[in-house]
Amino acid sequence: MNMPRTIAEYLQQLRTALSGADPALIQDALYDAEEHLRAELQEHPGMSQEEMLAKVVGSYGSPEEVAEIYRDQEIKIQRALRPPPPPKRHSLLGRFFGVAADPRTWGSLFYMLLALATGLIYFIWVLAGVSMSAGLALLVIGIPFIVLFFGTVRGLSLMEGRIVETMLGVRMPRRPPYQLAGKSLMSRIGAMFTDARTWSTMLYMVLMLPLGIIYFTITVILLSVSIAFVGSPLAWTFGDFDHELATINWGYGMHVPTLGDALVLCVIGVLLLFATLHLVRALGRMHGQIAKSLLVSRSSN
Amino acid sequence: MEDIAGLLKKFQKELSAGTVSLVLLAVLGQSRQPLYGYQIAKRLEEVGEGVLAGKQSALYPVLRNLEAYGLLDSEVEPSVSGPPRRYYRITKLGRETLREWVAAWSATRDSVDTVLQGGVI
Repeated sequence: MNMPRTIAEYLQQLRTALSGADPALIQDALYDAEEHLRAELQEHPGMSQEEMLAKVVGSYGSPEEVAEIYRDQEIKIQRALRPPPPPKRHSLLGRFFGVAADPRTWGSLFYMLLALATGLIYFIWVLAGVSMSAGLALLVIGIPFIVLFFGTVRGLSLMEGRIVETMLGVRMPRRPPYQLAGKSLMSRIGAMFTDARTWSTMLYMVLMLPLGIIYFTITVILLSVSIAFVGSPLAWTFGDFDHELATINWGYGMHVPTLGDALVLCVIGVLLLFATLHLVRALGRMHGQIAKSLLVSRSSN
Repeated sequence: MEDIAGLLKKFQKELSAGTVSLVLLAVLGQSRQPLYGYQIAKRLEEVGEGVLAGKQSALYPVLRNLEAYGLLDSEVEPSVSGPPRRYYRITKLGRETLREWVAAWSATRDSVDTVLQGGVI
């Protein structure tokens, strides 16, 4: 590969060298490199970009070397930060109940409950922002308002990324995507509109409301039903079932519930509870993929 | 001969991987004001090649990791040219960890030195 002559070229080569790696990792690596290169350039005002880069390839590393370092580091991060994988269980029973020992399950569960709140906030924010931008576009303050609004959407996207990574265990970027600085203000504003990620982020935020409602409802209903079933022997012990106020029907006709009925319900409740955990974990995995595909830019450009 | 050079490089890389977290934490522990990545790289450059085993790009992911563990705090400040800079400072947990790490490093260094000077025979 030939020597990069401008910072943009260096970053492009780094992107190429990292192609195939996790998009989140690429975004972080580009951010770090740009910060370092620009600091170097500022430190030596007399130097041209080309001279500076020739020097930097020695100290910071050539794009290939940097890519190598980041790939190495990523393997270590994955090992150090991730909770140890739950022990592999082979029996069907172990696999079914083992879901409770997987930290990802509980993360997903919490995310599902939180999704209603965050989904509502994102939805309102984007809807209010878009409609106000459209309204103000006719006025002078329209453009600054839109830019400000896009900026907040990026901030929210980064925050959602952190939430998704901690709770769902999907690697998300820790730094915003780099922008080619040095371009004129207008072309940077233009880039905000042509960047597909801006629009996909807003799509994600709008989508979060219906998704959040679905996640929340499914989780709350299934959890409360299964916990109520699990507690039915307790209810039977302390409740008053002698006056036929409550009846149960398994399909063989109605009768006043006995302790046996309560115990059967309890077993069904336990099974339902674990099935819910499975469902929640699967939903979490699916949502992680949605978040990744809409919030992280692909390395194609 | 090529073999020895290659092995040396590998050894340097391993040494640096083991010590770079300690060094970065120490630099930020001694600094009065928060520092950004480039400043830290330049300070280490003055000390010599040994610490980072070559490439300065290695320190950014490590800084981010230390932050993820809660040993460092960071904030972004806009700069006149280029992207905003991320300034790091050490946290209370970071200082306590640093103390432990320094003790562990001293113990390791002392025992390695003893072995190298023939103390085991």
